[in-house]
This record gives sequence, structure tokens and C-alpha cells, in this order.
Amino acid sequence: MSDRIFGGIGLMLALLYVWRAAIIPDSFMSDAVGPRAFPYGIAAVLALSSVFFLLKPDPAPEWPRAGRLAEIGFAVLVMIAYAQLLPEVGFLIATAFASAYLTWRLGSPPLQSVLIGAGTSIGIYVIFRLILGLSLAKGPFGF
Amino acid sequence: MDLLASLGDGFAVALTFQNIGLALMGCFLGTIMGALPGLGPSNGVAILIPLAFTLGLGATPSLILLTSVYYGAMYGGRISSILLNIPGDEPAMMTCLDGYPMARNGRAGEALALSGVASFVGAFFATWGLVLLAPQLVKVALLFGPAEYFALFALAFMTLGGVSSTNQAKSAFAAALGLGLAMVGVDTQTGVPRFTFGEVHLYDGIDFLVAIVGLFALSEVFIFLEHRGTDKDASTAPKLAIGRIVPSWGVLKSCTPTMLRTTVLGFIAGVLPGAGASLGSFISYSMEKKLVDRNGTFGTGDPRGVAAPEAGNNAAAGGALVPMLALGVPGSGTTAVLLAVLLSLNITPGPLLFTQNPDVVWGLIAALFIGNVMLLAMNIPMVGLFVRVLMVPPRILMPVVAMVSFVGIYGISGSSFDLMVMIGFGVMGWVLRKLDVPLVPVILGTLLGNAMEVNMRRAVTIADGDYSVLFGSWLTLVLWAIAIVGFVLPIFVGGVVKARMRGAAQREAAQTD
Amino acid sequence: MTITIRRGLVAAALLGCAPGALMAQDFTPESPECIAPANPGGGWDFTCRQAGKTLQDLDLIPSTMQVVNLAGGGGGVAFAEVVNKRADDNDLVVAASSATATRLAQNAYPGNTMDQVRWLGSVGADYGVIAVSADSEVQDLPQLMEMIKSDPTSVSIGGGSAVGGWDHLKVLIAAQEAGIEEVRGVKYIAFDGGGEAVTQLLAGSLQAFTGDLSESTGFIESGDIRVLAVLAPERLEGEYSDIPTAKEQGIDAVGANWRGFYGPGEMSDAAYDYWVSALDQLYASDEWKAIMESNGLAPLDLQGEEFQAFVQESVSEITELSKEIGIIQ
Repeated sequence: MSDRIFGGIGLMLALLYVWRAAIIPDSFMSDAVGPRAFPYGIAAVLALSSVFFLLKPDPAPEWPRAGRLAEIGFAVLVMIAYAQLLPEVGFLIATAFASAYLTWRLGSPPLQSVLIGAGTSIGIYVIFRLILGLSLAKGPFGF
Repeated sequence: MDLLASLGDGFAVALTFQNIGLALMGCFLGTIMGALPGLGPSNGVAILIPLAFTLGLGATPSLILLTSVYYGAMYGGRISSILLNIPGDEPAMMTCLDGYPMARNGRAGEALALSGVASFVGAFFATWGLVLLAPQLVKVALLFGPAEYFALFALAFMTLGGVSSTNQAKSAFAAALGLGLAMVGVDTQTGVPRFTFGEVHLYDGIDFLVAIVGLFALSEVFIFLEHRGTDKDASTAPKLAIGRIVPSWGVLKSCTPTMLRTTVLGFIAGVLPGAGASLGSFISYSMEKKLVDRNGTFGTGDPRGVAAPEAGNNAAAGGALVPMLALGVPGSGTTAVLLAVLLSLNITPGPLLFTQNPDVVWGLIAALFIGNVMLLAMNIPMVGLFVRVLMVPPRILMPVVAMVSFVGIYGISGSSFDLMVMIGFGVMGWVLRKLDVPLVPVILGTLLGNAMEVNMRRAVTIADGDYSVLFGSWLTLVLWAIAIVGFVLPIFVGGVVKARMRGAAQREAAQTD
Repeated sequence: MTITIRRGLVAAALLGCAPGALMAQDFTPESPECIAPANPGGGWDFTCRQAGKTLQDLDLIPSTMQVVNLAGGGGGVAFAEVVNKRADDNDLVVAASSATATRLAQNAYPGNTMDQVRWLGSVGADYGVIAVSADSEVQDLPQLMEMIKSDPTSVSIGGGSAVGGWDHLKVLIAAQEAGIEEVRGVKYIAFDGGGEAVTQLLAGSLQAFTGDLSESTGFIESGDIRVLAVLAPERLEGEYSDIPTAKEQGIDAVGANWRGFYGPGEMSDAAYDYWVSALDQLYASDEWKAIMESNGLAPLDLQGEEFQAFVQESVSEITELSKEIGIIQ
């Protein structure tokens, strides 16, 4: 069943792709092939393979229960928050929080998670900023 | 014997106390950066350029430092592929396919050591190729016009079937997905933005490092989150055995023909500007699979499946130096950075480099040999250290992997937007994995999609809209023939092999009964 | 269409130096920072790193120049960041080049214009060349243009920038000056970098190449390619002095790829003066002369107001050209 749904989504994706390709504006000058031909070909392969899933689906995988799905959803949210807040609060603080959260959710006791999070953050900072000299996000405190 | 005399001079240049120290430092830092997801050889070299400037190094020492980093990163990429199933950089992607299963089977040490040896063989012979064949090989590069490149990329995609999945349709879907993502950005041939939704950040396209780190590393984190507390929980699973550190002679012997074949293939792929190390390792793997995988063991931890891509991609790294030095054309992202370094050191690569700056060229080549030996000597004893990564419980390891991925991407581009795209890829990678859609073709598509499309369009445009130019030379015909054989053969042979395997399995079952 | 280049005028250099030497240091950056609007390893990155290092070596800045890579949108992401978030940052400079001006002129940085930042100074320029392979029968630029005029499909010209980018525009400028009416018919094939285009020229896929002098020097010296014209106002000095300019062949086309810096729009005047004078002294130094030579950069010595005017002029010229050939409406 999963593969059938996947095939349906694949078909929709192919259609969406064709539509987005069709509205690519014309340029002031065009080459012989044009910017749309290749994307159309890609969409055709997408559609063909999706039809194949519809007709010959593999056995469905084991999907996680709602609780587990929520777990992944929260992790995604934390990562998004991390990406957004990184330039605002600076590398060390943001990373310590994010990695402490992930460590906690992967099964460490809370206090230990905080310590591991801080350790991870400082360790990465030392390697990437101090040794390799990459520019990491600078927060209000300069780190 | 001019060559050997020149090489001797090169060693005289390279074998100073300072240069050996620099090579050692470069190899070490390169290995670390190669192993970290998100930092690959090209970023690794770029990051260390300021170091070369700050140390006030001259031309030859700077080059020695930076090429050591380059080779080191090519070695290092395999480490996280094998131990974590996360490629440290894009050429190491193929090493995941058999390296990780080997580690799961308790042969992590062996896989690491074997891949180290394979890397050495690939790089060593490629360096000899560079010494002996560079001027002739330039002519090979000149045989490849846009139509030939298009045929070459088509070959890569057509032989994709069966490399990483049992379901061909899913491989095709994955490849198309990757190709589709590669189309995002401003179209270089007409200047119009495509699939960017008006987002300036997407005008340059999607960085494949963002894709690779998201698809592999973040999806791995999600899988751990999903399985925690269930019977599939890896943290409660019995500890992985590390196994022997040095591969047995039998294994080495069985891999030797593989290594030699893929060295040649990878080297040629490297020589072609625009093909590069990823294509080298990919073609090496798929060719070996077609040639020697009679029992269908590739993908389940076959040592030859580890040796093939590693010899291939390291040979390609050496091969990529040929067009860079002899033509001034970078064949890969890393050689593009090295080229910029050369220019800034007042050395103009090109047809005259070998005659005008022999000390630089031969010093560099000698440094490659030294770095290579150093990497082998450094990597084999360090295998014991690397495998200890597997002892770190996943609840600590996985967050570190995630954070390092974020930092690697952010440190290079400085953009939160890239991080968001990476998270998107992570979720996509998790869904695709659940549905048993292979990830390798997605990466291959994002990596090669633009080059494939653009070369087709260049060829047809130059021929004023005549599509027959795509089959217009003997070389294109050869490439298409290989592609078609590679595409059609598995469909027939695959059936035969499967039937035979079924027969064998039944016999075995009958015997054990 | 002329982008006029003031070649190392001694007077200008002297005038430029004077305020730097006399000015009381009203402003010193605490932590000087240079944004390279691309990934490490590219031209902008090198501009930042080399200028930063030389500035520090010359004690023109108090501490190490922190180089930050902010890639995306062909420099548009960095431009927007500077305009929107860091408009009053006095410690910040950003690497720029002709590509920046081209994109600004073609509205490729949506919603941003060149007036939103302050243009500090240039650190050199790279002149355009049009070349053919050594065994080509084409001997000079008018002959090539004549071929294009009689049959545009017979000549494929390759270059390292995308369509509408600087390498492409250079050919179109020349074609326009040569009297080709429908410049859109000129067959331009985009490659990833000049090196790849030259390789395809040698492989016989292309008939001509357009690029910068610095990316073709290796092939010129080896005799693999023949440069039909350099797009400079007058002949270059030194070893490339035997290359004819387009102008002396009757095609008045000049194209220089300059490199320089801009700063945030609300940078204080003291900070602006500081950076202008720092770049001025940098340009005048022997160290920088050596770097320019090794990078194949020709002189382009413009700082402060002069540079602002120069960028203004080149943006409006590119805008005009782009309108004429239909890149923008």
C-alpha cells in the first residue's frame, strides 16, 4: 500500500515538475534545446517509475507509531529552530541546546544530556573555529 | 631516463625537514576533514589556504601542504562511510554500499584497512600515470567534446540499475529525483532561473554537499530516533565486534585484480575534466559488480565492493591533476581550488608548466608519493583508533554527527537557508529509506545532472539544433554501445543469475535438511 | 560603450595618499571583517584573503581580517545581508567585481541597487580577450566579426560565464561595435570557467573563445591559442604588448573585469575614509604590486568618490547594453 501512495505522490510530483518547467520564462536569447526540454524528460522518468510503483508495489514497510512520528517531528522542529536561531544567539549556545535535546531524546538522562550537549558544542567550536579557522555564527557575546 | 632524473630532483626538493612536516600535517588534517561529514576535499583545501598564507610558505611547500590535504581527505572520506554509513564526502558515497555492511558483520577493522590499501594502490599508480603519461593524456581530454561528455554521463545513469537496489524502478525514480533537483537555479545557457520560486538563495542551485549530508547524516539521526526503545534499538543491540585489524592475505589477494582494474578506470575518469572522482568511484563500483559479482554478494559486505570504489576514487584524484597541471583546467572542485592557489603563487598551469616550472611540478609529484606512503603508514595503525568510534553509544554519537553536519555546512556557506534545505533533505532521506528507495542515485543525479544537461545543450547548440550530433563521433558511439549493453544486459542476465541463485539456495536447503 | 580605465596615474596616487597620511585616525576597526560572497576558493574569496593579509602585513588594519564566506545568488545573498542587517557596520567590507556590477545592472539582486552600499575602491582589473585556436584560419578580429555577420551559426564562441554574464557581454560589445545588428544571433556557449572553454576550443568544438587575459596566459605562451584582440583602451605593457587591441583594429570595444570592495550603506564617514585610505595605501604598496602581477591583474587605481562614479558608470552602461539586447526590459 505504501508504494501505491508513493506512486501517486510521485505522479503528482512529476505533474508539478512539468507545470513548474512549463512556466519557466523565455529568455532574451535561447539555445537550440531550451531550458525546458531536459526537465520534461526528467518528469517523464519520474512519472514512468511512479506508474510502475502503482502497478507493482513492494510490500509495505513498517511505519512508526504516532508517538515515534511525533518524536521525529519534534527533532525536525528543534533543528529548524537551531538553523533560525544560530545567527541570533551564536554558535556555542545554540549548539549546546540542540545537541543536548537530541542526546536526551536518544536516551540519555537529562542532566547528562546537558553536559554532553555543552561538551559537544565546545568540542566542535575548538576544532572548527580555533583549529580550522572556519567562521561560525557569532552571537551577541561573540561566540 | 630524463623522467627519473626529474623525479629525483623532485624528491630532493620535497624531502626537506619542513616539507615532510607539512606533508604530515596536511595528511592528518586532510584525513580528519575527509572523515567529517560536510567537509570534503575541496572545502578542506580551501579552508587551509589561509594557513599556507599565514605561515608565509613558498610555492612548493604550500602546494605540498595543500595536496597532502587533498589526498588525505580522499583517504578520510571512507572512514565515516564504513563506520557510520554516512559518506564523509561525495566520492566516498559508493564505499557505504559494502563498507557499512562489512562493519555490521563485525569486519570494520578489516574494511578500514582494506580500503586504506585500496586507496594507496589507486593513488600510487595514478601518480605514476601522472608522471609517465601526462602529456599524452591531455590528448584524451581533448577527444571529449560536449557530445562525448553527454554520452559518458548517460552511460553512468544507464548502468545505475541494480547497483544499489533490487527494484530498478526505484533506482530510476531516485535518479530522476536527483536530476530534477540539479535543475534548480539559474540556467547558465539562457540565464533564466528555474524552479527557484523566486528565492535568491536557490539561484546558484542546490549544493550537493547540503544534499549528501542531509540525505545520509540527518536521516540516520531520524532513524535512530524512530527505533529508540523498540526491538530495533541499536543502542541496546549487542556491541559490534571490531574484528581483525589487518585483512588476511586471502582477502587482499582476491581484491588485487579489482583494485588494479578500478585504478585504471578511475584514473581515466579523473583525467576527463568534468567527470571527476565521484564518477570514477561510481563507474568503478558498477563495473566491478558487473564483472565479478557472480553470487550477488555486492551490497552485503563484499570486500571487493570496498576496494573497488576506494581504488577508483583515489586514482581519479590523481588523474584530475593531469588536466589541472597540463591544461590549467580543473577536473573537480578540489582541483579548481588548487588551481586558484597555483595562480596566486605566480604559477600559471598550462601546457608549458612542465618546462617552465619543473621544480614545482616534480616537487609536487614527489610530494604526492611521500604523502601517499605517509597516509598508508598513518592509516593502518590508526584503524584501531577509528573503530573505537563504534564504541561510542549512538545516543552521544548521533547528536555529534548531526551537529558536525550543521557546522560543516554553515561554516562554508554561512547561510541558515542551506541548513533549512539540509533538514528538508534529511526528512526526504528518511522517507526514501523507509520506502527502500536508494539514496546513491539521488546524489549522483544532483552531482552530475547539470553537467549532463548542459553538455547535451552545448552539443546540440553548436550543431545548430541537430540532435544527431549526440551520436556523431566514433567515441560517442562506443560510449552509447557500452551504456546500452550495461543497461540491457542486467535485465537478461539478472534473470538467469537470480534463477541460478534460487536453485543454489534450494540445493543448500536440501542439503541441510 | 567604453569602460574607461585610469591607468596608474601618479598624480592620483599621490593625491590619494595624502589624506591617508595626514588624516588623524578618527576611526579604527575593532575586528575588521571581509565578506566573500562565494564559497572558499573563488575569486571573491581570494580578493578578501589576499587584501586582508596584505593590509595586516602593512599594519593598515590593527588585527587579522576575519574572512566570512556568505555564498548564494551570485553575490545577492551577501548584498542583501549587508543592506538589510548590517547597514551600519563600520568594520565590514565586501569583495566585489564586474560580476557584481553586471548583476546589479540586470536586477539580478531582486530589490537591491548599487546606491544601497558605499563603494570603497578597486584593487586591480583583468582585461578581456577574444581568441581562436592556433590552427584557425581567422587572423584578426574584423575577420571573425565578418564571419559572424555573414553566417552567425558558423561561429560558436565559448566563455566561462553564464549567458548574460560578463564574458558573454564582452563579445556582444565587440559585435555591436563591429556593426552586427542582431547581436542576439551571436552563438555563445556557456562553460564552467574559462579553462573549460579553452579546452573545448582546442578540442575543436568551438571556433572562438572569450575570457579574461589572466585565464589564457598559459595557452598564449605555449602558442596553443592566438589572441585576436585584447579589450583594453591601449596596448598592455610588458610581455603581452604585442597583442593588438580591438580599438586599433577599428572595433572600439573595451572590457575590464575589475576587482574591488564595497562597504555597508550607513557606514560612518570616518569609517568610509579609513577604508578608502587603507585600500589606497594597499594599492600603492610594492607587496600589492607583486600580488597583482602574479594574478595577472592590470592596474585600476580608483578609490572613494572616483570608484563610486566608476561603478555608477559601468552599471549604467551595462544596463543600457542589457536593455538593447533584451536581457532586461
